Amino acid sequence: MSLTLFKREIKANYKLVLIFIGVLSLYGSMIVAMFDPDMGKSLELMLESMPEVFAAFGMAEIGTTLLTFVVNYLYGFLLIALPSVFIIILSNRLMARYISQGSMAYLLATPNKRKKIAFTQAVFLVISVLCLVIYITVLCIIVGQIMFPGELEIKKFVLVNIGLFGLLVFLSGLCFCSSSIFSDSKFSNGVGAGAIIAFIIIQMLSQVGEKFENLKFLTPLTLFQTNGLIAGDSQAVWAIILLYVIGIILFGTGISIFCKRDLSI
Amino acid sequence: MNIIEVNNITKDYGNKKGVFDVSFNVRVGEVLGFLGPNGAGKTTTIRQLMGFIKPDRGRVAINGMNCFKEADKIQINLGYLPGEIAFMDDMTGIEFIKFIANMKELKDFSRAEELMKFFELDPRGKMNKMSKGMKQKIGIVCAFMQNPEILILDEPTSGLDPLMQNKFIELILKEKENGKTILMSSHIFEEIEKTCDRAAIIKEGRIVTVEDMEKLKSNKRKTIEVQFDSQETASSFVSIMPNGKLNENKVIVEVKGEMDEFIKKLSRFPVKDLEIKTQSLEEFFMHFYGGEK
Repeated sequence: MSLTLFKREIKANYKLVLIFIGVLSLYGSMIVAMFDPDMGKSLELMLESMPEVFAAFGMAEIGTTLLTFVVNYLYGFLLIALPSVFIIILSNRLMARYISQGSMAYLLATPNKRKKIAFTQAVFLVISVLCLVIYITVLCIIVGQIMFPGELEIKKFVLVNIGLFGLLVFLSGLCFCSSSIFSDSKFSNGVGAGAIIAFIIIQMLSQVGEKFENLKFLTPLTLFQTNGLIAGDSQAVWAIILLYVIGIILFGTGISIFCKRDLSI
Repeated sequence: MNIIEVNNITKDYGNKKGVFDVSFNVRVGEVLGFLGPNGAGKTTTIRQLMGFIKPDRGRVAINGMNCFKEADKIQINLGYLPGEIAFMDDMTGIEFIKFIANMKELKDFSRAEELMKFFELDPRGKMNKMSKGMKQKIGIVCAFMQNPEILILDEPTSGLDPLMQNKFIELILKEKENGKTILMSSHIFEEIEKTCDRAAIIKEGRIVTVEDMEKLKSNKRKTIEVQFDSQETASSFVSIMPNGKLNENKVIVEVKGEMDEFIKKLSRFPVKDLEIKTQSLEEFFMHFYGGEK
C-alpha cells in the first residue's frame, strides 16, 4: 500500500467525510432522542394510516425497546441510503475521476505497481466507510446512554452495526469495481448508483406486502437482517459473512481489472 | 545499445485510428525527436511505452523490460511529461511536486528546487488557479527532478512563452551532455532541430522515416520573399532566378541547399525587405515525400 497516496486521499476527502458525519450526527441523535414510549403511540397511529409506506421503509413495527426503535428507524433505509451516496461519490473520486481527468498518469509514472495504487484506494474507501459506521455506533450509544441510561442493549447494537458495515463493504466493492472498470465517470457513477437504487427500490417493494415478498431474493440488501441479528440468529450472521466475502471479491475484481486494462491517459 | 525499443507495434482503434506496425529505437545518450501531425499516433505510441495501454501486436521495451508488465521497474529511471496537463486541482503547486516526489521515493529535493528556479516558477499557488504555462513548468519539474536516465516528453514546451522555450532547449542540451536518453515529441520543428540527433516521423499511424537530423535539415526548404524597390528590379532578379515567382515588386523563391548561390545573386540588386517564411510541418511533410499525400 502506498502511504503517500493514502495520506493525500485523507487530505483530499476529509471534508466529504465530515459532511456526512455531520448529517449522521443530526439524524442519529434526533432519532435516539425521539424514543419515547408515549410518542410511540402517535407513531403507531401514523403507521395504521399508512401501513404500506411504513412497511416499504422497513418500519412495519415501531420498536418498543430503544434498540428495536433505533434499528427499525435508521437501519431499514436511512443508514443504507446515506452511506451509499457517500460510497458512490468517494469511489468515483478514488478511481474513475483520476482516470477520466488523466491525472492517473502522474500516479502511474512512478515506481508503483497498478496493484499498489488500486489497493491503496480500496483500503481508503473501506476505512472511510468504517469511520462512518463506528461514528454512528458510538454516537447512538452515547446519546442513548445520556437520555435513556442503560436501556440500549449495546452488544446487540454493535452486532447490527457489524452487519451494516458488511452490507456497506459489499456496496463499496460494487462501486469500486465499477469505478475501476469504466473510465467515463458517467458510467462508473451510473452503474454503481443505478445498482444501489435498484436494490433499495426492490427491497422497498418486497416489504410492502406479501404479493411482492419474493422480490427480496433479487436484492442483496435482504442479507442484512436486522431482526435476525438482534435475535442472535445464526442464519442472519452467516448472511452478513456472505456480504463481507462477496464485497471483498468485488474489490479484488476491481483491482484485478484495473491492473490489466488499457488506460487512455 | 538501444534503451527504448519499439518493435512492430500495432494498436488498432478502428476507423484507421491507431498505430500500425510502428518500429524505432532510441539509443543510449541519444535525443530522438518524434514528429507528426495531430492524430498521427504519437501519444498512442508513448502510452504504450509508459505501460498505460498494451499493443495489439508487437513489442515495446525499455532497458530490455516489457513496458506493460514491468512499468513500475522502468519508472525508477524514467521521467515522463504527458501531453495533456491534468493535475489534481485541489493542491498547490508545491504540494503536488512534493507529493509526486514522495510517490517516486525521491529523497533529494535539490534538483527540483534548481529546476523551479531555472524556470522562474513560483509553485505556491493553487494549481487550478495557475496559467497553462505555470502548469507546464510544474510538469517539467516533475519529469526532471529525480534526474532520470531516460526521459519521455510529449510536447514539452506547449504553453511556454518563447523565453521559457529557449530555457527548455538549454535544459535538454544539458541533459544530453550528461548522457541522458530522451524521446521527445513535438510540433515545433525548430525545437527538434536544435536538440535532436535523429527524428522519427509518423503520419496516420505509420512511421514514415527515421532519419538523422542533418539529412532532414538539408531537405528542408526555405521560402524567401524579397521586396525590391520597383517591379523592374524584381523582374530583373527573376530573370536570373528562374524558380522565383514574380508578384509586383516582390519575388518569392524556394531555396533548398543553395543558399550561398541565392545570396550571391541577390546581392547584385538593391533589396528593400526580406522575409523568410518558416516552413510549416505540413509543408515540410509534403516536400519531404515529394508532394505525395
